[in-house]
Order: sequence, then structure tokens, then C-alpha cells
Amino acid sequence: MAEEKKPDAAPPKPPGPPAPPPPKNPGFVTAIVDGKEVVVKPGTTVIEAAKAVGIDIPYYCYHKRLSIAANCRMCLVEMSNAPGGKLMPACQMPVAEGVTVKTDTPRVKDQQRATLEFLLLNHPVDCSICDQAGECKLQDYYMAYDRQPSRLDVPKVMKGKRVELGPTVTLDQERCILCTRCVRFMREVAENPQLGVAQRGNESFITTFPGQPLDDKYAGNVVDICPVGALTSTDFRFRGRVWFMSSARSVCTGCARGCNTFLDYLNDVTYRYRPRENDAVNEEWMCDDGRTSYKYLNAGRVLVAREGRGANAQPLPRKVAPRRAAEVLLPHVAAGSLAVLLSPVASLEDLLVACKVAKEGLKVGEVYAGGRADGWQDDFLKRADENPNRKGLELAAAAYGLAVRPFADLVAAAGAGKVKGLWAVGTEVPDAKAAEKLGALEIVAQSYGDAALAQHAAVLLPASPHSEMDGTFVNFEGRAQRFEMAYFPKGESRPHWALAAELGAALGLPLAFASGREVFAALGPQLGSALGDFAWDSLPSTGSRLGIVPLAAGTVDGRLPGNRDRVPSETTEDYRRAMSRTS
Amino acid sequence: MPYQLENRPPDLRESMYFPEIIRGIGTITKHFLKNLFFSRDANPDILARKRGGFGHSDNVTLQYPEERAPYAPAYRGLHRLVPREDGKPRCVACYMCATICPAQCIYIEAAEYPDDPVEKYPAKFVIDELRCIVCGFCVEACPKDAIRMDSGEHTPPSYERSAQIWDEKRLLRGPPVSYQYDPWLRRGSPSIPPDKLEEMRARAKPFPTVATDEASQTPGFSVRALAAEAKDRAQAARK
Repeated sequence: MAEEKKPDAAPPKPPGPPAPPPPKNPGFVTAIVDGKEVVVKPGTTVIEAAKAVGIDIPYYCYHKRLSIAANCRMCLVEMSNAPGGKLMPACQMPVAEGVTVKTDTPRVKDQQRATLEFLLLNHPVDCSICDQAGECKLQDYYMAYDRQPSRLDVPKVMKGKRVELGPTVTLDQERCILCTRCVRFMREVAENPQLGVAQRGNESFITTFPGQPLDDKYAGNVVDICPVGALTSTDFRFRGRVWFMSSARSVCTGCARGCNTFLDYLNDVTYRYRPRENDAVNEEWMCDDGRTSYKYLNAGRVLVAREGRGANAQPLPRKVAPRRAAEVLLPHVAAGSLAVLLSPVASLEDLLVACKVAKEGLKVGEVYAGGRADGWQDDFLKRADENPNRKGLELAAAAYGLAVRPFADLVAAAGAGKVKGLWAVGTEVPDAKAAEKLGALEIVAQSYGDAALAQHAAVLLPASPHSEMDGTFVNFEGRAQRFEMAYFPKGESRPHWALAAELGAALGLPLAFASGREVFAALGPQLGSALGDFAWDSLPSTGSRLGIVPLAAGTVDGRLPGNRDRVPSETTEDYRRAMSRTS
Repeated sequence: MPYQLENRPPDLRESMYFPEIIRGIGTITKHFLKNLFFSRDANPDILARKRGGFGHSDNVTLQYPEERAPYAPAYRGLHRLVPREDGKPRCVACYMCATICPAQCIYIEAAEYPDDPVEKYPAKFVIDELRCIVCGFCVEACPKDAIRMDSGEHTPPSYERSAQIWDEKRLLRGPPVSYQYDPWLRRGSPSIPPDKLEEMRARAKPFPTVATDEASQTPGFSVRALAAEAKDRAQAARK
């Protein structure tokens, strides 16, 4: 009986869905975006895959370094595997094998238009006041995808207009489109969740906890990632319009991390730093202290060489200044009572030339390292050492066989009377009180600013900071990073390396350089292999920008007629003519 | 009046030559006698003056300093920064005019209001009238109707270049303008007293969607009043 009941064989399985075809490229996912085949790693989102073949899908809330929220609905696209043919958020959907994605069908375009209309419904048309104008994705996408007049016929929802979230960030809640990038940044990157969304629906707004400011040291980054004008930098607010400004690829001098920055400048004024993307150093973030560290480039600068101190100060002509400096230093060289103070805020080129002059011209065997006093440190970006180039100082001194001694030793030596003359390349000193004690020395100082040690200088030479020169900083990891000149040196100031080379020439050394590049070509080999595979011309070209350069408006604002910002050679008239001749 | 000449062979009278000579002398004599015995129309409205008809001389020369031809309503005159009723400029220092200005003669520095919903105002707004090429792009670019060239006067001449550089104090003049969408009317402003605000709201007009001449849109606007003002200013300056 039981044997009879036993089936002879398993019944054939009902036909299910066909097995998926084997992957076209094993180990990768192959899909089709707008007719182009893309091969990407599994887990890549559609936005990134489309970007890889040059298709831009618009988005507000997506950010490649933050978690996915998919709440702005700007990136909805058609995907062949979507249930019920729904539009899918491209920022959140990973690419699947064999999927066809379409980003420019009428449905998608209609959706983009509708999304933009929704986002712009209660958005105040503040563009003339808003600081985001020119960098605003609402403006960009409106022109690219929408171009419809508003159909809103009821009053817009009103919210807080000028909310001081904290010391560095001002929020305009009306302009916010609630993409929550800032909330996610504070939660995931700064790891200090001070921002959140309050209320519901069209009354929601970004805010901090009641009574608590947004005082995280990385809060300034939410201004950068805000796609609209909701979060603005209190420091930069209304200071200028960004389309006039040019951006130079630079390095932050706030600490030894050496975050890559864009230095935004106009007419020889630095307006702000913005972080520049570099995965190896700072991803694309930057601390608030670094953001505001540009101020010494503009204010309190020494622009003319000077002899004597206090009431006896006399301006020195540029031609005479290095000779006078040499005359001050030479007696101390003979007496052996000369010290050389190098600042780790100066660039590697500056310090190479300075070390060469110290070793061969001034015959010293050791240099003292000045620099700014230590600050706070955390485990993300900021280093306690607030000097961008301490490592570079050590490398340059080692290249010329000079011992590096701390600043305290210099104060002690000066107190003991062993040191009577001082050549200071950069006057940043960690200890202002101790610097007062150095006032009794005969000082030749090359300085950006006219404070502290520069006040006591017998001969003061005006130096140009990193915004006015091409050069290199070596960060605390030993990574050499180039920064480029934004504008020409102000007044009669020159980079430290030029001043040091002039001083060296006055001391009888055959030193003359035309540019930082030449300095590095001539003296860089001294460093040996300390910089690894660093190449001087290795600055990545992404993102640098030329603003609309205003002509000199003559008498209106005091600029000289014919004043121009520095324009790279490939955009000059001569270059274009030459190109048109060859082609 | 262009003089129409028909392209035809001369008829008998013209080919006889003398009748035409005499007719021409007659025409000249007519004008000569008219101009000898009649004088110009003295109508103070210069554009309405009759000329050359019976009883009026052909001579229409304006006696310049005393009589001046008014400019057309569309004349792009000296710039003005349009004030609000509370005396502040409508300008929010958005730099659109400075951006579009082909002569780059506008210099602006923005500053922040502590208490106004507009937040931003031009702490400095300088136009170098010597550089200005009077193209009117700044007026067209302005999103706030804050700069106009409707003053009906040209830039007054001066002996110093520095007098041609107009700052916001000199530019801010003329009749105030309010529109219903203006933020300080919609939201109210702590810097404007409430009753004044009500009055401003009542006076505000909808933003025009069609371009008409601005003179007709501004109540109380008159080219002539502005010209008289300018004349009085000039006389006061001479004293």
C-alpha cells in the first residue's frame, strides 16, 4: 500500500520566472543609462553610474559623503525594473544587472518640473539679497529643468529670516528646501548632532535644540553643502558677490593638517576659504578656525620696508633695504652673536632659500623655529600645531645641515647675552611675552603683519603670504602640497624667498630667482627623497574658477586704471592669438 | 518734409525756364516777408509752438538758457536711486547693475540692516557718470526697480571730475515707489511706524507686467518739476 502511494518521481516544478541571465561582466554590474552601457561595481547608485558616462541627474539632497535621504525627489528616473513602472530615486537605487535607466523621457522631465515647482512654492525670491546667488542649485535647476512661472496664489509660508544658529552660521528658514544635508552632516561627519528638523509639512524648519547654539567647530561646512541660500556664513555674509571672485587652489594655513582650499579673491582682497576636495587630506571639509584664518592676508600688512623702530621709523626704498639688512647683520656674523628665527608659516621654498642664506651667508649652525602657539586638536582634521609648514621647516633645515631649536632656547640665549642679532623669516612667535624680551636684539625681520616682533625690528622687510606666491607646504604627515598665487604681492612686499635671496645677494651669495618654481627647481634636490614623488606642477585643475574681473572703475573706488586680476596665461589675448595662428 | 521729385521729362513751362525762376523768387520772397514782419510763436509749451504757418516766423530757434526743450519721457537721464516712502533706498545691493554695466562704472558695497526685512542695503553706491555710457542696462537689470533714469535731466556739467562721481546720498532722490510684493510691506518693519506702514501699503501698486513709460506709473512724477528742481539747485549753487 505504502509502496503504491510512493510517487515514481518528483512532479515537474511549475514554471517560474526565468533564471536571471549571467552577468555580462562578472564581478561588475552592467546596465544601460540613456542608451549608454555602464559597467560599475555592485552597489553603485544610478546617479554615480550615470555620472560615469557623463549624464547629469539633478539632485539636492544627495551627497556622496553623507547617507542617502532621497527626500528631495529631484533625481527620479525611469528604471526598467521598477515595480509598477514607478519613477525611482537615482540617488538611492543601486544599479542592477541588465537594468535600463532613462533620465530624459517626458515623464522624468515632467516630474523634475513638478518637483522644482513644489520646492520653489514657498521659496522666497530673495536672490537679490541671498548670498547663494551664483552658486545656487535652485537657480541652476530652475533654468535647466523648469522655467515655469509660479502658480501660487496664496501667501507664502513665513518662517524665521535671520536665525543666528551659532557664531559662524546664519540660517534663513524660508529659503530652506529641507534636503537635510546639514542635519546629516552634523550627525555623520561632525558627529555632533546639533541640527534637526522641527515641525511638519510646509512648516518644518531646520533648527538647533532650544537654547543651544550650533557651535561645533565644523559647522561652517553646512554652509558649503547647503544647495540653496538657507545656511550662510556669518563671516562672509553680504561681503561680496561670488561671480566677481576668482578662486585660486590653495592650502589652509590654520593648522598643520593643510586642508586643501579654494582661496576666493577679488582685487587683491581675500574674501573667504572654501574647502577643496582631497580624499587623502580633508575629504572636502574644513574647520571653522581655518575658514576665518584668511584675515591676516588682508589686514595689518606691512607694505613698505622700514628702518628703525617706533618714532624713528623711516621707509626704506626696495633697492636699499637688503643692503641695509646685511649691514645690520654682518657685525653679528663676525661676532658669532647672530641667531636665525624661521617661521613654520612660511612656505617650503621660503625656508629653503632662508636656510641656504643662513648656512652659507650668515654662517650659522642652527636655526630657531618660531611659529604660532599650539591650539586645540581633535581626532578629525584640526591639529594642535597651528603652523602649516613645520615639517617643511624641519626638512629644509635638515637639507642644509642646520639644527632646529625651539623658540624658548632663543629667548634663553638672548637673555644670556649669547645672541645679539636676529634674522627673523616670518615674525610669528608662540609666546608674545617672550617676544618682548627679544626687543633688545638687533632684528632684521621679514614679516607679513606689523605686530609683535616686527615692531622691534631694526630693519623690517615686507613679506608676501601664501596668497601672493606660488609655493609648497608640507603638512604634518610629510605630504607636500602646492598652493598657487592668487594675486600679485601687495605694495612692495615680496615672498620670503625673494627677500632672503636679495639678502643673500647683499651678503655676496650668487642668489637670484624669478619664481617659486625656479627656487624649487634649484634647491629642491637638496631635500633628496624627503617629499616622495611630489612634483611641483602637480596641482589638480578641478574647480578653480575665474570670476568676472571688473575693469578698473578708475576714480570710483580708488583702483588704478588698467588694474587687472591675475589671469592665467591660457586665457590671455596673446595666447589666444598664438593658438589661432597655429590652428 | 522730403521734397518729392517726379522723374519725368520737363514740361513746356519748365523747359521755358523763366517762369520757374520767377516762381522760385516768389517763394523766397514769401518766406522773407513772413520772417521780416512776423515773429516766433511765444507759446511757453515749446513742443506745441506753431512754426511757419500764417502769422508765425519760420525761425524757431530756442533762446537756450531761458527756454529749454523738454526731453522725451523715455529719455535716459541722470540715474536716481529710487527711495521707499521711509526714505531708505529700494536697492538691496544685489550687484546686478554693476554686473551688467558695460562701462563698469557702478561701485557698490553692501551692508546689513539690523531691523529691516530686506536685510541688505548699499552702504556705498557710486556711479561714475564720466564712465557711464547711458545705455540703461542697469535699469533693466534691476530686480527691485531701485535704479531709474527717469529724472529727465542730463548729468549736470562740472568743473571737477570728482563732482561727476555720484554717491548714494546724491543719487537717492525723486518720488518714492512701493509695490505690493515689497518685503517691508508684506512683513512689516520695526523701522517703520505702523500707521506709516498702513499708508504705504495703501499706496503700493501691483507690479507692472507690461512695460510702459515710468513717468506715467509714478504718481506725482513730472519731468518739469524735476527740471525746475534742478534749475533751482543750480541757482542756489551759483549764489
